[in-house]
Amino acid sequence: MNDAEVELLTQTLRRTMTGTASGAALDAALAGLGWAELLAEFPAVAIPTVFRLLGETGAHAPVLNDVVLTAAGRPGGGTVRLPYSGGSWVVWERGAAATGRTLDEDLPLRPVPADGPGPVPELLARPDSTAASVPVAAGRRAVGWWLLGTGHAMLGLARTHALDRVQFGRPLAAFQAVRHRLAETLVALEGAEAALTAAGDDLGSLLAKAAAGQAALTAARHCQQVLGGIGFTAEHPLHRHVRRALVLDGLLGSARELTREAGALVRAKGTAPRLVQL
Amino acid sequence: MSALTTAADFRTALRAWLDENDLSPGPDHSFDAQVAQLARVRRALFDAGWMRYGWPREVGGLGGPAVLRAVLGEEVATRGLAEPGIYSMVEVLTPTLVDHARPELAAAMVPLLLSGREQWCQGFSEPGSGSDLASLTTRAAPRDDGTWVVNGQKVWTSLAQYAARCVLLTRTAPGHEGITAFFVDMDTPGITVRPLRTMHGVDEFAEVFFDDVPVPADRMLGRPGDGWRLAMDLLPHERSTCFWHRVAHLYTRLDRLLAETATPDDAALGAAYLALHTVRCRSHATQRRLADGVRLGPETSVDKVLLATAEQQLLETVRDLLPGVLELTETPWRSEYLYAKAATIYGGTAEIQRNIIARRLLDLGRE
Repeated sequence: MNDAEVELLTQTLRRTMTGTASGAALDAALAGLGWAELLAEFPAVAIPTVFRLLGETGAHAPVLNDVVLTAAGRPGGGTVRLPYSGGSWVVWERGAAATGRTLDEDLPLRPVPADGPGPVPELLARPDSTAASVPVAAGRRAVGWWLLGTGHAMLGLARTHALDRVQFGRPLAAFQAVRHRLAETLVALEGAEAALTAAGDDLGSLLAKAAAGQAALTAARHCQQVLGGIGFTAEHPLHRHVRRALVLDGLLGSARELTREAGALVRAKGTAPRLVQL
Repeated sequence: MSALTTAADFRTALRAWLDENDLSPGPDHSFDAQVAQLARVRRALFDAGWMRYGWPREVGGLGGPAVLRAVLGEEVATRGLAEPGIYSMVEVLTPTLVDHARPELAAAMVPLLLSGREQWCQGFSEPGSGSDLASLTTRAAPRDDGTWVVNGQKVWTSLAQYAARCVLLTRTAPGHEGITAFFVDMDTPGITVRPLRTMHGVDEFAEVFFDDVPVPADRMLGRPGDGWRLAMDLLPHERSTCFWHRVAHLYTRLDRLLAETATPDDAALGAAYLALHTVRCRSHATQRRLADGVRLGPETSVDKVLLATAEQQLLETVRDLLPGVLELTETPWRSEYLYAKAATIYGGTAEIQRNIIARRLLDLGRE
């Protein structure tokens, strides 16, 4: 796909995500736009574009299932058990009746027992990345792009607030302490985007997910502070993105867990792999 | 040597050559020895052609894309052939000459630098002008015969005591438009160099005093008032290829830590690795943009913050995971740990970078 086609796709997807109810309706709308074919034929475009936009728009759809299933050579459209932080497992439900009770109640995520029956459990026999490398790597990239989009959504809200809100006779954005928090947020997000863009193999995907989780949590921390009281209310949209960042960070391994895993790997190897080359 | 135009071919051929031609430094780790080693490495790489790739033919180069210089510097850093900070100075000094000097001057001078025959320095910072570089007060005044006369003081001038030439910023009129750059011979009467003692124990920097120093008019870089633009133009060079070199160097230090530590702190090792990987990915993207002909700008402040943060995090991890080592033993780690403290200060402080990001990238308006 060329740049113009990607831009057109992005516009269409953004319109769909903002104009369609999240969950089953958006799942159907994305299917109608050719999501399955896009994922099969252009995964390097499909995953960054769709998942980043889910984050930016605050929408959600159960399409992570399709990424993991497709990467495992299975047909999409179903659900698959996904490893979660702390050795837990979850299923991202599809269907109109699906509801959730996690910290982000909007997401139809359902914790499932580690040893119980579940859809396609053998794909992810072990929660560590190396054993079930193919499905988890693609899924981690997808969730990473989502976290990046969520981080940018928070940064956008905080930036607008900093420019609009006046205290001491000037906008918050005129205060260096506020500016530097927002600058730090952008640095973290830009670093994560570079890691996601470069991610190809298992380790690169693990590191990219870790960087994205860390960046989204950095964004949550700084943006919450910049938004002050209004950002703590339920009427302001910030808390939805904060919840999403927290829940997505744990999905397929938290930044903290993945960072530790990377550390164990380089310690075992005795050298730090240089993953990107000129 | 056949023309090498891709990074992969260049790297393969270069590695084969370096395997055959051992340029490893000797046992003397003094700074004098490091500067001598740098000259030796540059000369050998120049004579064999490697140092000439990625530079224009007009200044003694062999042409080809700039990415070849990044590959060369990565190989030099990875093999520990030269101290990466002073090795990379060529990446800011050469483009400055190529872009701003008279073509004849650039053609005559640049080969002297690339071949290791000379070291050059950059006279920018002053005692009263650190972050606020544009407030510099070193004056250049024209004489009736057309010569300019320089008076003032520079500080934090890397390699000044070894340098044959200096890219010098002076004031010729008020404001940003009143800054003018010269290419000054360091053996001109009236120049005094005094090395600075720093906390990490390496005399890399110096103070430079200018006392009625005459500079010929044809040594002006650009025209009167072009100095600020020259200073801004070199930042993207510093933050693309130099950064790639530095990241490669830091990976060697993480490897060294992995070899030496007995502390199985995977969280700390992983965090140090993640920070390095992140800045490597960012620097890689910057290299690609440069290759695509994109004009680099304020977004390189992001690279700068990521790099400085990663460097300090790595060296703090060294101290944590080699407990007692840098405090109690005479190890190279001691100097490197202390030097990392400067990473958020030199080349524009972390605060200045965040100011730029806030103003130029986030469009937050004025403070």
